Amino acid sequence: MTPLLGRSLVLVSLLLAGAGAVTAFAAGRSRSAVLWMWTRRLIYGFAAAMGAANLLMIAALLRHDFSVGYVAHVGSRLVPDWVSVVSLWSSLEGSILFWGLVLGAYLAAATHAQRDAPLESAPYSAGVWMVCAAFFALLIAGPAQPFNTVSPVPADGPGPNPLLQNHVLMIIHPPCLYLGYVGMTIPFGLACGALLSGRLGRDQLLALRRWLLLPWIFLTMAIVLGGWWAYEVLGWGGYWAWDPVENASFMPWLTATAALHSALLTERRGVLKGWTTTLVLATFLLTILGTFMTRSGVFNSVHSFTQSAIGPTILVFLSAALLFSVGLLAARIDRLSADEGLGPAMTREGMFLVNNLLFVLFTFTVLIGTVFPLVVEALRDLQMSVGRPFFDRMSVPIGVALLFLLGVGPALPWGRSSPAEMRRALLPPLASGLVLLAVGLVMGVRAYWTLAALACGGYAAHVTLVELVRPLRQRFARGEAFARAASDGLLGRARRRTGGYVAHAGFTLIVIGIAVSSTMGESREVVLRQGESVAVGRYQLTFLGLEEKSEPHRQATVANVAVYQGERNLGTMTPRMNRYAAMREPVGTPTVRTTLREDLYLSIMNADPEKQTLGLLVRVNPMVVWLWIATGIMALGGVMALIPRRRPVVATVSASVPVAPPGAAAAS
Amino acid sequence: MNRKVLLAGALVVLPLLGVLLANIRRDPTSVRSPLVGRAAPEFTLAPVGGGAPVTLASLRGKPIVINFWATYCVPCLQEHALLQAVARATAGRVTFLGVVYDDEESKVRAFMAEEGASYPVLIDHGGRTAIAFGVAGVPETFFIDAQGRILYKHSAALDEETMRASLHKIAPALMSEAR
Repeated sequence: MTPLLGRSLVLVSLLLAGAGAVTAFAAGRSRSAVLWMWTRRLIYGFAAAMGAANLLMIAALLRHDFSVGYVAHVGSRLVPDWVSVVSLWSSLEGSILFWGLVLGAYLAAATHAQRDAPLESAPYSAGVWMVCAAFFALLIAGPAQPFNTVSPVPADGPGPNPLLQNHVLMIIHPPCLYLGYVGMTIPFGLACGALLSGRLGRDQLLALRRWLLLPWIFLTMAIVLGGWWAYEVLGWGGYWAWDPVENASFMPWLTATAALHSALLTERRGVLKGWTTTLVLATFLLTILGTFMTRSGVFNSVHSFTQSAIGPTILVFLSAALLFSVGLLAARIDRLSADEGLGPAMTREGMFLVNNLLFVLFTFTVLIGTVFPLVVEALRDLQMSVGRPFFDRMSVPIGVALLFLLGVGPALPWGRSSPAEMRRALLPPLASGLVLLAVGLVMGVRAYWTLAALACGGYAAHVTLVELVRPLRQRFARGEAFARAASDGLLGRARRRTGGYVAHAGFTLIVIGIAVSSTMGESREVVLRQGESVAVGRYQLTFLGLEEKSEPHRQATVANVAVYQGERNLGTMTPRMNRYAAMREPVGTPTVRTTLREDLYLSIMNADPEKQTLGLLVRVNPMVVWLWIATGIMALGGVMALIPRRRPVVATVSASVPVAPPGAAAAS
Repeated sequence: MNRKVLLAGALVVLPLLGVLLANIRRDPTSVRSPLVGRAAPEFTLAPVGGGAPVTLASLRGKPIVINFWATYCVPCLQEHALLQAVARATAGRVTFLGVVYDDEESKVRAFMAEEGASYPVLIDHGGRTAIAFGVAGVPETFFIDAQGRILYKHSAALDEETMRASLHKIAPALMSEAR
């Protein structure tokens, strides 16, 4: 019964999406308010059907209804209920179904926001959204069908991938990633709408920026949460490995970040409309490429789902989207032509442009590094992978250059400026750069690129703080009280500006954190017998012994390690090895003792309970916690910039007084 | 139509699509087993439900099909009937063995009682034999010829066609006789 109902809901959503695409494009061509209204209803219907299908699946997972194909595949009676719910996105079919839910929610929200947008482009945007929706509904209905009927019905299932049961971050990371990935459909549709109608007006640009910013916030958090999860769960002591799937989420982030910056320039100067649009299209296309990379089984990675029939289907969609985008850009980009030239290079505008080029260069670097093994393999029968050295060598200079720009760009005034003005703007922050450089040297940093990151970071931090404080100082000078100055100068109308600089502060901290943690750490692999001790960094570790623990869904070997720092007892740390019924290899779970200064990271390499010996990986990772904090700061900046400014009530009233055009009542 | 944009777009998009298309059939997990063409690893395993341990050496002289499986695995369920039928049809000429390395013996016994079992299932405590065979998951089926060499490894549910072709590899005489 459940499988049948589920399949029907998916089919209904497919029909609604297809119909919606047709009415949307018809509404766009005819500028018909009635068709636009029907399009919106179909979109809400799609969202509702997808929501119902997802609820049904969650219910089946919780009831252990193994007659449903997906439940038989990932469900288990042994796992706790939260794991059952999380199983929704733990494997291929469920994750695509969940994608449908997120897409439906985004489409409904964006459609609601666009309900009064001009009929020349909004229906086109909706048409593009609905084509994407129809594709994903088709994927769910066909090759990734989660509601298959299973016969004979098994008594129990294997449970989801143990790695996903191992940490609470797995509840947050995937939904966050989907909210980032799927959300990029909205700006894609808006950009396509602008291209199709040949016009990118101020309102559309603001909508584009806002709908780009929202998924950008999620994507930013998802990427770092993924790194955090890898750090806390996978046990090799790092947070980023340039795995194809990590790259898949990083590439759209790069182009989206570039687009957020160029959109600012478009808004301010009317330039780069075509370029901004291109970046938005590229961002969406990269999310689809990323989906293909994760789901096709073509790339080998910790994330890859099993081989399935879904790869070719996504490739067809990716090809169509790529060719459509290139054709659309070529056909319409000239209509969005710039209102004025960009002007000289040594201006803030010029720095925006360099920033954009660096982001695009970064994207291409990661893309080539990710795809290159496939090229080699296609030409010669040879399995290879492009390892960390390539990515590190390429990304470190680009990252430091971006940090450099993040300092210099905002320091430079808009438009042309005299050499004296430029000196006044650029020289003072050098002091902070030098101070941080000196601090690094005193702390023993010798790695050349780390020192460069510290110097640029000090410079950027200085500029960012000055820019954050500037409105306050201006208002203090006028004699305003602190509370008022802060609420008007930083929040109120200046929210977007403030949000941008807060995000900059977060990014600065992230780059410094990466530079320091990746070069200043200490790593030891030791074998300890019961009672033996080892000193690593400032810590003395004593191996107290192993114990076996039995939990409903897993068995665990837990090592007790007493940690001292000098005379001070820091407590007992308990790295463990979990063994799950469905997996032969045990899964290590490291323990991390986090302080603002550094993490002490313990991970079991091997453990012998009979002889009571322990192979232990001990790492001291400086500044890692700052990555997580800085990401929070970046996301906060994004949220600040996102919150809509309250519209002045007077203006809307006076604007809407004239007689409503025919059909307006029906449309609203 | 902006030719430059079209050209630049094509230059990025077409090679990328070409590479992806050329690799679409690739399966990075199906690294060809280094064991194919070599002697199967020795083992001594006790059958589920009791009885004398089975060694590989004692089976030499006849083609062998070894199926690694588990009760919770849906593809294993799907191929179960085919394996049972072929095992019955070739009884005495091909030896069929099941191996469970990651399951509870009681569940396996209940499963065999319910679904039927026409050949012995061996239990591999600790998964040493599975490791020796390089098993990455269930189901995996190894086709071993009369001399004890692994000629083929299949890493998904078996279908009739694969079964016929694989049996042909390890027992050509049997298959031509059947035709």
